[in-house]
Amino acid sequence: MKILTDAFNDLARKGVEKARARPFLKTVPHFLYQKREIGLASLPDVAEAHARGAGIRADVLDRLPELLEEFEKNAMANGAKVFWARTAEEANEYIVNLARERGAEFVIKGKSMVTEEIGLNDLLSENGIKPWECDLGEFIIQLMDSTPYHIIVPALNVTVEEIRDLFMAKAGMKEPTLDPVELGYAARLFLREKFHRAEFGVTGVNMAVAETGTIINLENEGNIRFAKSSPRTQVSVMTLEKVVPTMKDAMHIMRLLSRNCSGQKISAYVSMDSGPRKEGEIDGPDELVIVIIDNGRSRIYQDPQARGALRCIRCSACLNVCPVYRQIGGHAYGWIYSGPMGQVLMPPLLGLDRTQDIYRASTLCGACKSVCPAGIDHPGLFLYYRSLDVSADQEFRGKKRPWREALFFKLWALAVKNPWMWNSGISLTRPFINKNSHDGVMRRMTGAFGGWFKTRDLPPVARKTFHEKWKETKKKH
Amino acid sequence: MQSARDEILGRLKAARKTKPRDMPDVQQSRDPVQGKEEMIRAFTGMLRLETGIVHRVENSSRAKEKLTEIAKEEGLKRVMVSTDDVVAPLDLPAWGNSIGVQVMRSGDFAGRDDYKDAVFDIADAGITGADFAVAESGTLGLILDRDQPRLISLAPILHIAIVPVDRIFSVYEQVMERVFKKDTYPGQFVFITGPSMTGDIQGHLFKGIHGPRKVIVILVG
Repeated sequence: MKILTDAFNDLARKGVEKARARPFLKTVPHFLYQKREIGLASLPDVAEAHARGAGIRADVLDRLPELLEEFEKNAMANGAKVFWARTAEEANEYIVNLARERGAEFVIKGKSMVTEEIGLNDLLSENGIKPWECDLGEFIIQLMDSTPYHIIVPALNVTVEEIRDLFMAKAGMKEPTLDPVELGYAARLFLREKFHRAEFGVTGVNMAVAETGTIINLENEGNIRFAKSSPRTQVSVMTLEKVVPTMKDAMHIMRLLSRNCSGQKISAYVSMDSGPRKEGEIDGPDELVIVIIDNGRSRIYQDPQARGALRCIRCSACLNVCPVYRQIGGHAYGWIYSGPMGQVLMPPLLGLDRTQDIYRASTLCGACKSVCPAGIDHPGLFLYYRSLDVSADQEFRGKKRPWREALFFKLWALAVKNPWMWNSGISLTRPFINKNSHDGVMRRMTGAFGGWFKTRDLPPVARKTFHEKWKETKKKH
Repeated sequence: MQSARDEILGRLKAARKTKPRDMPDVQQSRDPVQGKEEMIRAFTGMLRLETGIVHRVENSSRAKEKLTEIAKEEGLKRVMVSTDDVVAPLDLPAWGNSIGVQVMRSGDFAGRDDYKDAVFDIADAGITGADFAVAESGTLGLILDRDQPRLISLAPILHIAIVPVDRIFSVYEQVMERVFKKDTYPGQFVFITGPSMTGDIQGHLFKGIHGPRKVIVILVG
């Protein structure tokens, strides 16, 4: 999949202008946010529950290597195979080879962000193994050859008209309809045959419980349960940070994840696998393979501050509440992750140089931080990434700034810390600055500061500043 | 060459440690319900919110009568049933014979493929017991094993679960303690709360996208 994070400005403009998506953008995130509020109200103390969620995620990061070892040991004792992959390529190669060895003609996939991240579908297709996305939203965007608009509701922006045409052309739908329920049933019929015949299933993982070696998936549709019940081989893909210490912790995160995601007390299905099917069981996989992927996480982990990005449990509460996401939608962010969670995760994953506008496209209002059940300080991370970027950080490939900009900010820092310099600077530069004032507002400026004024206005410098007036007043009396 | 595993774990271990933080323990849900009748009421209310249908009967012969009613209402002709400790004693094949419903069990099939054909394409409903129920959210808990095959509660468009009332617990943690107490854990354990559903087409919620469109629970006792 092509990564377009460096085209943020153009994509954001397109996102704002795309008329068809606007009605959904104006309603669905708000609706999900309201549902979340109602769902959270069933907890005795929301702040306390979120504090515990944040505590669990902090604890996970504190003990990440030890918990992973414990998880691996217990998962293997349960009869699962565990494969470690440094990179997306290693993971893809392993899964594709396994599918080939097992003679799989096609693969059914449960909804999973990590397999989007590693681009597994492309590799499978290139090797003649058809991947079928079986979550309805993922199925729609797969047929459209598109990317998730929202991490939980991937096809949020697609209209019923588009879905009708898509299903008529590619999903064997017989009669055209605009009824969402009828469209859903058409997808049911089409995918049912895949579930029935599948011999190879791929899923993600919401939580991997160290204490028991169990993997847990939350879902509403049942596609993940099918992928874990019908095929002979089950491959469940997780990144390092999905591990949680105990089953008790997992139950708490489950409550928070369901509520923060969709306002439900619990997802319709929560399935927990401890090894493959046992002797004498007629369904379930003969083999359960758990693929643990690093793909940049251990590098992020080296930096104690950036490490906070790994707390994310992918609930999407921060997307729904974000004033920027609510305007531009999910495609503006240029890759599979969007909204504030994407803005904290993508820069260290892809490099600060490739994500320049991603961690700057924020009002720093902190709405994301206020709703996060995992205790992520999104605005703090945005500022941190910006500081790494301007200081040309090696590890995360900061880009540094042009010398003129760097010099300007050096002088600026000097001036704002020194009253004399500030006041004389203002009176010296006032005539040049105020040249750009029209009707009492500066809306644009030529030259080096033009970019700043593209999206901002400023009142002109007063003919007399407060300090100047104060001096005059003192003289008079 | 160092294995991927050792390399990844090595890098994580080499990273600077952060100090363990406070982790407040919290009450699991608002006023966890206690007492049999209160838990039954809470379970029923919660499941109905998720469009589940809940009946309560006194004993297992009444449960079979209720099944007969449901079979008529839903026009069931062929059902797949589990053989777990709730369903097996009901002798559903005999019940089916008496009312003209064909009752299939996973053991009736020569192999996995035949069984899959039946559960996907032939069964009008799946009838199972449940090992647990949770009042907190109207949730069923099923240990999936040789007597509780995974697809029976998933593939047919209707799922009917028979649940003795003494299997209802207040919160998930009580269930997990019981499922994960032994040395060998079930291959799969699942929490089911209402029917299969989605909101993926323009946020329009509807039931039965892949799994059951309807879930009927018969509480016994």
